[in-house]
Amino acid sequence: MFNTKKIILVAGITAVFAGLSACNEKLTSNVTPIMDGEYASNYVEIIKANDGKYLDSKVIEAILGKGATHGRDGLQGKLDPKNPYSFEVDDSIDGGNHGNSQCKVPMAFTRVQDSAAKNYKNDATFVAKGFGTPIAEAALEKWNITVDGDGKGLPDSSVGMTVEEGGAVYVQFCAMCHGEFGEGAKGYLALAVDEDLIASDPKDPAPMKSVGNYWPYSATLFDYIRRTMPFWTPNADYIGDKGYLGITGYIMQANYIPIGFDEDGESMELEDDTFYNAEVLMKQNKFMKNQGNFFCDHRPIIHNERCMKDCPDTMVGDGSGDIHNFVEARKLPDGTPQYNVPQRLNEAPPGVGHTGM
Amino acid sequence: MTDKIIEKVAIQTDESRNQSRRAFLKGGAAVASGVLFTQAASASDIKFNPKKAVAPYANKKEITDVLADQKSRKALGFGVRKYPYGLPSPFEREVQRRTLEWLTPDSMASITMSPLQSLHGIITPNGLHFERFHGGVPTIDPDKHRLVIHGLVERPLIFTMDDLKRFPSVSRIHFVECPANGALEWKGVQLNSVQWTHGMMSCVEYTGVRLSDLLKEAGIKPEGKWIIPEGADASGMSRSIPLELAMDDCFVAYAQNGEALRREQGYPIRLVVPGCEANMWVKYLRRIMVHDVPMQHREETSKYTELMPDGTAQRFSWYMEANSVITYPSPDFHMQGPGKYYVRGIAWSGRGKVDHVDVSTDGGKNWQEAHFTSAVLDKAWTRFEFEWDWDGKEAFLMSRVTDETGYVQPPMPQMRNLEGTNNVYHRTAMVTWRIHDWNNGKDGGRIQNVQY
Repeated sequence: MFNTKKIILVAGITAVFAGLSACNEKLTSNVTPIMDGEYASNYVEIIKANDGKYLDSKVIEAILGKGATHGRDGLQGKLDPKNPYSFEVDDSIDGGNHGNSQCKVPMAFTRVQDSAAKNYKNDATFVAKGFGTPIAEAALEKWNITVDGDGKGLPDSSVGMTVEEGGAVYVQFCAMCHGEFGEGAKGYLALAVDEDLIASDPKDPAPMKSVGNYWPYSATLFDYIRRTMPFWTPNADYIGDKGYLGITGYIMQANYIPIGFDEDGESMELEDDTFYNAEVLMKQNKFMKNQGNFFCDHRPIIHNERCMKDCPDTMVGDGSGDIHNFVEARKLPDGTPQYNVPQRLNEAPPGVGHTGM
Repeated sequence: MTDKIIEKVAIQTDESRNQSRRAFLKGGAAVASGVLFTQAASASDIKFNPKKAVAPYANKKEITDVLADQKSRKALGFGVRKYPYGLPSPFEREVQRRTLEWLTPDSMASITMSPLQSLHGIITPNGLHFERFHGGVPTIDPDKHRLVIHGLVERPLIFTMDDLKRFPSVSRIHFVECPANGALEWKGVQLNSVQWTHGMMSCVEYTGVRLSDLLKEAGIKPEGKWIIPEGADASGMSRSIPLELAMDDCFVAYAQNGEALRREQGYPIRLVVPGCEANMWVKYLRRIMVHDVPMQHREETSKYTELMPDGTAQRFSWYMEANSVITYPSPDFHMQGPGKYYVRGIAWSGRGKVDHVDVSTDGGKNWQEAHFTSAVLDKAWTRFEFEWDWDGKEAFLMSRVTDETGYVQPPMPQMRNLEGTNNVYHRTAMVTWRIHDWNNGKDGGRIQNVQY
């Protein structure tokens, strides 16, 4: 599921390491790595013997080895749950093509793990102080509006409205900022654009992310709309779960998210008279286009040496050793620097290299 | 690092003690009736040569007219309690947080940057703390505010502010950084100020209750693996935080820099997640739900995920990487002529303490280690300083941090090659200040933000 990702990162990592051989330091530890599987099983000892420097490139090499398949050069190793540097754990829920991947704090972050163990798992003596007041879960119903990526917390399937009715609610409360068809307005986020997520030129504006091309879970799209919208009066009683489901249905329809596939493999889409409820929403949770394209944080993937003198060209200036090949802010004809002119003239949506905050 | 510093200081103290003892014996001090005193050193012992010391002032023109007394010397100033809550001098009015109006369509879901170029030391004053809102700033009555811990716990609990303040307290200095800090610079340089390039962060002392104490108070069930903090503001901010991270060093803060939190920073309480994305530091905290899986909410899927060049996206990027920036001289200043400069800046790491900061004046070819002028604290700003003799020629100033985990801050081309330019978040590579040649006409001595 990470094929493209792997290739890109491996290429990148190889490039990074190619330029670093100039500076060389010895691993300070005398602990011998025990490579009894893919990774050194005594990684904790290795890290501790090196004063906790778990991101030092030599420490990482001692733990992960040098091999092309599971060493530093092969970053796919990071996506293996057994790797002590991995942020990934097994998918826990059937939420679609990638499930609800549970990222974690890597085991190699020994300081975090030790501290958490001390404060929690190994704290056998803790006794509550009794300063708070017990409250019944039922008393929290009004506050508990949380829906998870798996759909836990959604309203009962008797609640809902047709997609067409949902469209009417959307036009009344959402369209003035997001456009009647989700195209965006007044600088607010578009909800239904189908841009490619890969910009061909790095200088091009970043691709616009919206529901169809980016959001991984329909269940939490509903959570977000009910939680925060309409912007000036969020979580409105007069819209209610019924109205919020209707709005969600209309946005899903505008993004052509299927509700399933027929016998010929043709996608089945929302009709105007489809009664949109939690059940339909959860069918679509499996067909969110971008769901499989997320992966857990794997930084830092950059492991440089602390070079002090005559550093290799790859680390100097523009990466070829040229310190005069730099980029300046673009200039207006009168010579003053040009800062986001399209944004300032309201010709482009606002944003920090992407749209919407 | 701190240990080393303490050790060094200890050695120095011993040495100076021995020195003074030797001087004492050598000076042949009198011991009379049990009273000890030392003789003043004779004039010949002074090594200081005043003529030589002031040599750099030779040939500089003397001021010859008598200075007029200023008004402040000839009239009384204002009395006590003119300002029951003190304000900065009006001459400091330019020191303020700023925003770029074209960044966001409104001011309720927007951001301001701290004026790093005007800050000293490692503490950001409360009034200059950067702001980031997703639904405007609520004004919450602390008497009516409650914090609830529920979900996969043995005993759901509700706390008043008084309840929270009754718990053992913890005070710690930490930086808080929006992961979009530096986002303007992914596709090239934009603005000539360190306020715009790095101002989406601040560093203050927080006081509050350990989150682990509160969670244990409610008794986490074994199947509880994540906590979901939620705000009481219009955005109802919610993020998923794994239990290891929550139990490490998080706390629920009610104070910043010795006073109650400011409304802009989450009054009456906010979560502090040291070293991690500021978006996780949920403000106006009113509910912590313990859950078995992450929520996959909007702020950890649609936003705060990093788009890679191949169209995949990185999520749950909790920790802020080690980073550093030179705040003087920075593009906010102009060089004052060739000669000695004390290059200053801040370095920080979301993974612990800063180990070294190195400064390059030649675009990264050669580096020299800077020294620290502040305390070196865990997940906090650290001030560094570096003595530099500027020859007046064009120079390219950069700083590079190494943190205690061994991570070395990368140059921008390396980060861009791996992560592309559509990423938005976590742009933590080095920046470059180009110092224009002093003899370069009207540009002479200008400091410019450039990018490799």
